[in-house]
Amino acid sequence: MDAGIGRVWTRRLVPAAFCALLVLPALGASAAQAPTRDEYVAQLERICKPETEATRRAMKGTSADVKAERLAVAAAKFAKASAIFAATTKKMTAVPRPPADTAKLKTWFGYLKNQEKYLREITAQLRSGHLIKAQRLLSRFIHNGHLANYAVLPFGFKYCSFEFSRYG
Amino acid sequence: MSGGAARAASALILLAVTLTSVSLVVTGTASGELTQHGNLIIRLDGGLSPRKLPRDRPGPLQVHLEGGLRTVDGSLLPRVTRIELGLPGQAVITTQGLPTCSPGRLRFTRRAEALAACRSALVGRGSLEASVALPRQQPFTTRASLLAFNARVHRHRAIVVHAAAANPPSVAVLVFFFHHGRGRFGTRLVADLSAALGPWPRFAQFKLNLGHRYSFHGRGYSYLSASCPAPPRGTAGFFSLARSTYTLVGGGRISQTITRGCRAA
Repeated sequence: MDAGIGRVWTRRLVPAAFCALLVLPALGASAAQAPTRDEYVAQLERICKPETEATRRAMKGTSADVKAERLAVAAAKFAKASAIFAATTKKMTAVPRPPADTAKLKTWFGYLKNQEKYLREITAQLRSGHLIKAQRLLSRFIHNGHLANYAVLPFGFKYCSFEFSRYG
Repeated sequence: MSGGAARAASALILLAVTLTSVSLVVTGTASGELTQHGNLIIRLDGGLSPRKLPRDRPGPLQVHLEGGLRTVDGSLLPRVTRIELGLPGQAVITTQGLPTCSPGRLRFTRRAEALAACRSALVGRGSLEASVALPRQQPFTTRASLLAFNARVHRHRAIVVHAAAANPPSVAVLVFFFHHGRGRFGTRLVADLSAALGPWPRFAQFKLNLGHRYSFHGRGYSYLSASCPAPPRGTAGFFSLARSTYTLVGGGRISQTITRGCRAA
C-alpha cells in the first residue's frame, strides 16, 4: 500500500472508529432502556397503585361533603388528591416509553395534564365557594378521564386508568 | 342592562353551561366506558330516564344499560358463567303489590306466550347477543329478545328474564337474584349463566331497559326510583350508575363501572 494513502486512511479511519466506539454503546444502552409495552405498563402500574390507594383515602366522603355543601372540607380533600395526581404524573412522565407507542402516550399524557388542571381548578372553585362552577369542572374532569382511558385502552391499565369512584 | 337583569342573564348562562356539561357526562360517549384486559374488551353504557330527579326523596325512573364483551382479535369469547349488575345504593326497588312470575311459567314459551302469562309482572325489556360454539362447527351469532319479570324464587326477590331467539329458535330463562350489601353498589343482580344456558352459548352483548310504573290500591308506584345526590344550591349530582361484573370460566372476574349525572328537580 502506498504510504501516503495509508496515512490518509489512518487519519480518517482512526477518528471514525473512535467515534463509533463512543456512539455504539450509547445506542445499545438507549435500545436497552426502551421498554416493551408490557414492561412499561408494569412499571407505571407500580407507580400508580400506591397513589390510587392514597387518592381513595384522601377523597373518602367527598361526595357527601359536596352534597352537604361542606365546601372547605371538600376543597381540602381535592387539594390532597390534586397533589397526589401531580406527583404521580411527574413520576410517570420520567419513565422511558416504548418507541412504538410514543404517539398514543403523548395523547394520554396530554389528557393527564388536563386532569391535573381540572383538579386544581375544582379545588380553587370549592375554596371560593363556587359550587356550580366546581360541578361544571367536575363533569369535564369525568369526561376527560374517559377520553384518557380510551387513548391507552390496549395497554390494559388497572391502577393508572381513570375511575371516578376513586374520587369520593 | 340593569344590574338585576345582568345578574339574571349571567345566572341563566351559568345554568345553561352547567346543564350542557352534565348532559355531556350523562350521555357519555357513543360507545360507553371501555376497559381492556388482555385480549378482552369489556364495555358498559347506560343512562337514566328522566334525568331530572328529586333531591330529597326517591323519584320514579327507568335505567337503560347496555354492554358486553368482545375480543380484540375477533377470536371466540371466553365462556361467562356468572353476570352481576350492580346498581347504586340510592336506588330503591319497590315490589309492593306488583305481581310475580315464576320461572316455571316461562319455560318453553314463546315471547307472546310469556307476555300473555306474566304481562302484569313485566319490569323490563331488552336484547341479548351470544356466540354459539358447537363442537365441530363454525361459531355463529344468535340474537334474543329479553323480557324481564318481577319474581320471587325460593322466597328471594328476583328478576326472571325470558330470552327468546328466532334463529335458531330457542328459549332460555335466566334468574337474577337480588343481593343487598354495603358499598357504592348496594344492590346487585346476580345470575348464574352456566346453569341456564349450558356450555355452548358465549355471552357477548346485552341491552336492558329496567323500570315499570304501576298502581296498587289506587296509589302509583315505580319499580325503580332514586334521588339525585345534588347539594341544596347545586343543580346537578354525579354518581356511579352501574357496574357489570362477569365471571369467566376458570374463575377470572372482570368488571366495568359507569358514572352518570342527574339534574335536581
